[in-house]
Amino acid sequence: MGKQSNVQKAFLALVFIILYAPIFFLIFYSFNSNGTMSSFDSFTWEHYAAVFEDTRLIMIVFNTVIVALLSALISTAIGVLGALAIVYLKNRKLRSTLLSLNNVLIVSPDVIIGASFLILFTAVGVRLGFASVLISHIAFSVPIVVLMVLPKLLEMSDSLIDAARDLGASGRDVLTRVIIPYIKPGIFAGFFLALTYSLDDFAVTFFVTGNGFSTLSVEIYSMARAGISLTINALSGLIFIVTVGLVLVYYALNRRNRTPVTGVKK
Amino acid sequence: MTQQPIIRFDNVSKRYNDDTSVLNNISFEMERGKFYTLLGPSGCGKTTILRLIAGFIEPSSGEIQFNGKKINDTPPNERQVNTVFQDYALFPHLNVFENVAFGLRIKKIKQAEVKRRVEEALQFVNLQGYENREISEMSGGQRQRVAIARAIVNDPEIILLDEPLSALDLKLRTEMQYELRELQQRLGKTFIFVTHDQEEALAMSDEIFVMNAGEIVQSGTPIDIYDEPINRFVADFIGESNIVDGVMIRDHLVRFAGREFECVDAGLDPNEKIEVVIRPEDLEITSPDRGKLVVTVDTQLFRGVHYELSTYDRDGNEWLVHSTRKAQVGDEIGLDFDPEAIHVMRLNESEEDFDRRLESYEVSGHAE
Repeated sequence: MGKQSNVQKAFLALVFIILYAPIFFLIFYSFNSNGTMSSFDSFTWEHYAAVFEDTRLIMIVFNTVIVALLSALISTAIGVLGALAIVYLKNRKLRSTLLSLNNVLIVSPDVIIGASFLILFTAVGVRLGFASVLISHIAFSVPIVVLMVLPKLLEMSDSLIDAARDLGASGRDVLTRVIIPYIKPGIFAGFFLALTYSLDDFAVTFFVTGNGFSTLSVEIYSMARAGISLTINALSGLIFIVTVGLVLVYYALNRRNRTPVTGVKK
Repeated sequence: MTQQPIIRFDNVSKRYNDDTSVLNNISFEMERGKFYTLLGPSGCGKTTILRLIAGFIEPSSGEIQFNGKKINDTPPNERQVNTVFQDYALFPHLNVFENVAFGLRIKKIKQAEVKRRVEEALQFVNLQGYENREISEMSGGQRQRVAIARAIVNDPEIILLDEPLSALDLKLRTEMQYELRELQQRLGKTFIFVTHDQEEALAMSDEIFVMNAGEIVQSGTPIDIYDEPINRFVADFIGESNIVDGVMIRDHLVRFAGREFECVDAGLDPNEKIEVVIRPEDLEITSPDRGKLVVTVDTQLFRGVHYELSTYDRDGNEWLVHSTRKAQVGDEIGLDFDPEAIHVMRLNESEEDFDRRLESYEVSGHAE
């Protein structure tokens, strides 16, 4: 690619403006003292203060984070084991079948996953609330983790494992000293992706949550339905900043785990 | 008494998925402290032998012995064998020191000793001072040395080398040939080296196993194999050679290219059809009237050390000549050679018969 022409640059700028404008529009009005989104009167922090005064809302933020962290952790563990199982399966047919089943879960609509979980939970008799939300979040995160870990596992040369065995490593040593360190970037990527998926999930949570338990996205949805309040804007602004922070942390971690140049399959 | 072989293959076969046979009933022995080379074209099964010794795969049938003990089912981590891999297989997440220390760490050896042994191993391969480098910061030749250090630090009985020089450039490769040979002699360990490069094999080995299509075609010292190839395949694979059909008239007299020549081979049936090998460097350019063969120069290439001439005799046989003397393309020249330069190969002779025959006429030849 040569230098970009001005037209290309302008187009790129336009695309990003369109993508980000609604978010900045929303954040901009979170500082409006007027209380509406029609005209900007003067700058105020009062909507942000309202967010922090609302203990119920703080509790919901706390719930959301706990569910996200727990589901990301558990799904990372399950997902890594799943990816290992898929890669080291001898039976090629079974292997590709499992991989396809994994990918179907990623592309299937959240609404369907949510609805089916709701049916499952009511049939089995699981009380809707924290547990049901956590379980369903783990369920939709596992395929994502598998998909993030798999490429690292596939690019790893088999001779690395042979070398470790050759140097006296037992099966467990091979896993903890060679495979896990090698796929670490994939594991981190999977964890962070699972975290963000869980944090911003609405559809699945909406179906499986019950009385007394709510996450941010569901809460914001019901607040928005009840009528426009700039508290939502303030809250959204905060979430946006936290998200940007997470992305930065992810990139910082990625940069530290330099891409390996050896041990890659040809 | 001869000492016990360190490695013994007894009718070992390896098949994958019951149909493709990679090794067919291979039997051989290897002595302690020697440099062995498994030489052959790709797909001949040489790497399979290496992987069988390392324990990455198990034989389909037959027995593999290490120091007289059967090791068919011993997992690789319990064998006193270490491998230098073709792609080096260094761990990218560990630095040079930790890569070399990997085997020692697994054995839970004390830090002070790990440090001493790793430094010693790195010194052995001339990499002192590189301990804290990342693998990504090392060049191809340096990675090669790290891989060797990682193998020798564990003090194994056998070191297996799977085409370790193939990724290096020519100059470095030649340099590493010297170093590997010297390293083997200093350590006194058994080295088993796999390569498809005949020059490498000739330069480094105590003994070469020439392989083709899952079988060992010929084994012997580099000189034996070069001078007395058992058949067309070996003659062709090791070095350049002129191979023509001929007839063994009687002992010490062979007919090829329309003439009869005195030779040193014997022990064949009278008038047996054979093949004759003459190495290009054994052919000397002379005037047409003094040459044993008269040929026409077709092409001439300058190879640095010598000229390589492609010539044809009147029967249309091609004769490759390596000579420091120049000839004129299109000219008729004579080729002279000693009786010793003629090597007669029987068709489809087994290695045992071949060795027996060589022994018999060499003894009788000396007695005369």
